[in-house]
Amino acid sequence: MEEPRCIAHMDMDAFYVSVELQRRPELRGKPVVVAGSSGRAVVTTASYEARKFGIFSATPAERARRLCPDAIFIPPDFESYRARSGEVMAVVRDHVENVEQAGLDEAYLDLTGLARPKAAARRIKAEVSEATGLTCSFGIGPNKLVAKVASDAEKPDGFVVLTASEARERFAPEKPGLIPGIGPKTADRLAAKGIDTLGKLASLPEESLVEWFGGNQGPWLGRLARFEDERPVTAHRAVKSESKETTFEHDLRGFDALAPLLGDLAESLCTDLGKKDRRGRTIGIKVRLADFSIHTRARTLNDPTNDREVVRRVATELLREFDPRSPVRLLGVRVAGLDEAAPADDQLALGV
Amino acid sequence: MKFSISKDVLLAKLGIAVRGVSTRSAIQTLSGVLIRAGSGGVQLQATDMELGLRVDLEAATEREGTVVLPGRLLLDVVRSLPKDQVTLEHRAGDGDVEVVAGSAKFHLRTLPPEDFPNLPEAGSEPLRVPTQAFVETINRVARAASRDETRPHLTGVLVSANERELRMVATDSYRLSVKETELAEPLAGSLEVNVPARTLQELTRVAGEGGDEIEVTALENQVVFSAGGVVLSSRLVEGRFPNYRQLLPESFEHELAVSGPELLDVVRRISLLAQKNAPLRLRFEDGGVEISAQTPDVGEASESIPIPFKGEPFEIGFNPEFFREGLESAESDEITLKLISPLRPGLIQSGDFTYLVMPIRLNV
Repeated sequence: MEEPRCIAHMDMDAFYVSVELQRRPELRGKPVVVAGSSGRAVVTTASYEARKFGIFSATPAERARRLCPDAIFIPPDFESYRARSGEVMAVVRDHVENVEQAGLDEAYLDLTGLARPKAAARRIKAEVSEATGLTCSFGIGPNKLVAKVASDAEKPDGFVVLTASEARERFAPEKPGLIPGIGPKTADRLAAKGIDTLGKLASLPEESLVEWFGGNQGPWLGRLARFEDERPVTAHRAVKSESKETTFEHDLRGFDALAPLLGDLAESLCTDLGKKDRRGRTIGIKVRLADFSIHTRARTLNDPTNDREVVRRVATELLREFDPRSPVRLLGVRVAGLDEAAPADDQLALGV
Repeated sequence: MKFSISKDVLLAKLGIAVRGVSTRSAIQTLSGVLIRAGSGGVQLQATDMELGLRVDLEAATEREGTVVLPGRLLLDVVRSLPKDQVTLEHRAGDGDVEVVAGSAKFHLRTLPPEDFPNLPEAGSEPLRVPTQAFVETINRVARAASRDETRPHLTGVLVSANERELRMVATDSYRLSVKETELAEPLAGSLEVNVPARTLQELTRVAGEGGDEIEVTALENQVVFSAGGVVLSSRLVEGRFPNYRQLLPESFEHELAVSGPELLDVVRRISLLAQKNAPLRLRFEDGGVEISAQTPDVGEASESIPIPFKGEPFEIGFNPEFFREGLESAESDEITLKLISPLRPGLIQSGDFTYLVMPIRLNV
């Protein structure tokens, strides 16, 4: 029989803010918010003090200012965050072979096969904090889903170990939206059916789920609610698409006002792709209208490209066809279906 | 700040500096070029926090001072100017810089200079290494570094220099490239740093026109290169570079002398049919190797060349690009291909250059 899996999810506590506080210790204990400075910026991280005012990631910066006029706003410095993230991940990789980095501030660790996985996780947690002065929260479970939800359960500085059935029991009274993968729309549809807790979702008969959400999504939702998850921890996530987008200070109206911006976005996107020598076949645009609705259009070419003229031309055609009638808040260009160094499945690697 | 300079000189130097400009920083000032006019001349600076460039230019300074201007825009403006003298003048009251050439006049708003970071200075006793050897070694090795930013410790090139040896090592975990270049003269000091591959590739561009020597200063977590009036500084890669020596097998079953250019030609041709992650297949039999590739729904190709192989026939698969780059970087008429078995690393060797490449497991 195969050994049962043991997966940990490590999530840095208020990572960006914590990095800033190390540089500016005089701000400790105060509501601190990392957010861009343009009128439309959203909060990337809020300190735990700021969260008491109702400020969270993705809160519009303007709203955050109203919620807590005394909050200290710091512009994001991703270069530093990336550097600090590198230090954290280096500690983790010293201990664990199979690490899937899911962002600058989080990673899944496959602890399967370790003699004392929980002790190892505690040691990593302590070493991360020793090496970087930053705290993190760990969740440990039989799969990525349990680990992820557990790491979030007792933040900051949390350490939560759960089996799947313990997770089912503990989170049964919570809203379905607690589960990553169940977005607000799905949550609304569930709520409309009277399914407002994970417990209710978990005990729904599969037929109802299939009837409401179809033969794929329905059973999948049931599995999520039961904390069943078979996804492997994979060290490299092959990036399949890249995009650039820009939110405007003031809404823009009409094709003529928007089209020139596509050229800029295409140029900056293709410069990045060119540096990595990557090309994609699918070119798409993303448009967010004044009512916050998001619209995407895409077209697939015969050959992969990272030529900015090609990307600009196709994006412009897509925009012309879409022809947004109401004012536009955000415009994005995307190249997907990237080829490149996604190594073949059977490519062997050196142990480095 | 006010100075005048020939358009062509400014354009050339600005073109170098702008390569350091950040394209996506949240800090607006980093999209700018800092221009410092002093009594000794003018210096341009740009940085994206990872890499910094400083370029000196000779100009007649009328008034000293420092401004930051949007880098790309300034480059576009200067490029568009008629061939002539250009004058740049900071108008502090208006918060802009006036650029005048002939009757063309631009007013460019400045960016806040206080956000512009200080770039590290070169030390007073840098290590001097010959430009040609340094650049050539980079060109042979750097492409094997990882571009995967989720594995930052592999995105660098380990640069070591001591006595008469300059050594660079890079690996992305699928291949490992090592070159040990012998220097004509012993060095005055030694060096061991893990430098981002991008920094070294940038260095090959700026050092090409410079003098015979590159000056290197290794700081605690930065490195500073000076060559030909350009100072390039960079953060060092954090995390320990893998112990590459233990990755190199101690012995091989087969050591085959092959003509590098001939094998490279065949590999380039056959690789045309190794698309969509299909491997390049090398089938070794007594006296020859058949190189083949097959892409479902596209087609297949094969070609044989003589090779002094003896023993049990076997077939090994490689990523076509990794294998081809190894042959290209070997840059040699005579190479030695070293193999053990289908699932063990292969090695391309020519003189002081060693390229280890991991195979692809073949299904049939």
